[in-house]
Amino acid sequence: MGRECENLLSFIADELNDNNKRKFEKHLQHCTECAKEYEIMTDAWHSLYLDIEEQKVPESLKAEVMDFVFIEDEKDRKLKSSFNINEWFSQLYRQFSPIAAALIVALMVLTIALSFSNMQLRNEVKESGQENIVPIEVLSTLSLQAADQTEGNINTGGSAVILQQGEAKSLVVQVRDLPRLEGSEVYQVWLLKNGKRKNAGIFKPDESGAGILTYELAQNLQFDQIGITVEPDQYSTEPRGKKIVGSS
Amino acid sequence: MKEKRDEELMKLVNKKDRRALEELYDRYIKLIYSFVFKFTNGNAETTKEIVQLVFLKLWTTKSSYHSSKGKFVNWLLTVTRNVCVDYIRKDSIHTQNNQQMNPHLPVEIADPVDEIEKKLTFNEVAAAKSKLSTSQKRLIDLLYWKGFSLTEIAKMENEPVGTVKSRLHQSLKQLKKHLEVEDL
Ligand SMILES: [Zn+2]
Repeated sequence: MGRECENLLSFIADELNDNNKRKFEKHLQHCTECAKEYEIMTDAWHSLYLDIEEQKVPESLKAEVMDFVFIEDEKDRKLKSSFNINEWFSQLYRQFSPIAAALIVALMVLTIALSFSNMQLRNEVKESGQENIVPIEVLSTLSLQAADQTEGNINTGGSAVILQQGEAKSLVVQVRDLPRLEGSEVYQVWLLKNGKRKNAGIFKPDESGAGILTYELAQNLQFDQIGITVEPDQYSTEPRGKKIVGSS
Repeated sequence: MKEKRDEELMKLVNKKDRRALEELYDRYIKLIYSFVFKFTNGNAETTKEIVQLVFLKLWTTKSSYHSSKGKFVNWLLTVTRNVCVDYIRKDSIHTQNNQQMNPHLPVEIADPVDEIEKKLTFNEVAAAKSKLSTSQKRLIDLLYWKGFSLTEIAKMENEPVGTVKSRLHQSLKQLKKHLEVEDL
């Protein structure tokens, strides 16, 4: 396996920048090992979408989508055609003295040159693989355990990670081996600070009892504990059911 | 329009044929809608906004679909998923609203999608996925359905990126194997 081969998974997850993507596409044509693996991987990757549930599409959606598409497209075209250079010059010379007009043109050229070099700079940043995505940092990690260890759910547990990206903070809660839910029941995540609880959303685990929840944290929100309860339905504003998992 | 193949339809869409876009909508909205609905954790409002952006993307895209690129449905869902990921990353990380839940509905999709996916059914993929280990499933969920990158997942799991990559490799390989066994 060469160094280029290591990019296979990043290529499938579409995480390479344009430059590396092109390089890997070339590599795929020569490396039989990668070509073989690539076929298996993409097959599996493309089958993942089938893990969805059929939803009822609202009747009104078609009109809303089509209106949106055609109006946005129209707006975009008007914007482009409104900047007609010739028209702009003739207006300029009609409105200003020749010297003032020449000055405005010079400024305009400078502005275009500056924004162009800025654009290039941004492209270079992108090429170097940074994209213009702000990096994510892990602020802290909390471990989660079963609230009641005696009930045969000793395997139940997981983790909660607090992430920071630029100004934004979010919480990712992952739990495994959760007891099965009945009917309309859901799991609900609560953030605790000085005995006060804040609702951080609900989730349903998959058949194996694994569940993931992501929640955007308000900037000033503080908490020192996490609790997960089983609730009779999705409408709880205070816990009504039993606590199943908590941070230690 | 009805008798046109997907590839022909998409070519017409590239040429700004509105009826072709509407036909594409009729054929695939159920699939696209259900996909985005899952991606947004069942938030109907966000789902609508993303679906609108998906069709705007199809209408304005310079790239076209060729049958050499694989199945049309895979191409379409790659476009859809990219719009989902872009939307979620736009101003902050994961601003998903977790308040709305998706009711469990029977899993079967009507024509014409099942003509494309003759062999695989929704249940089969869910079953194959359930055979993966917890950490493999978590990786797929974070990557595919939550839009985190491999590097971000490595940070979250406190592991080297290489480890996450090889876990993904193993997960996809096993998934493929389980799917093939069920096909027999
Ligand atoms: Zn290779």
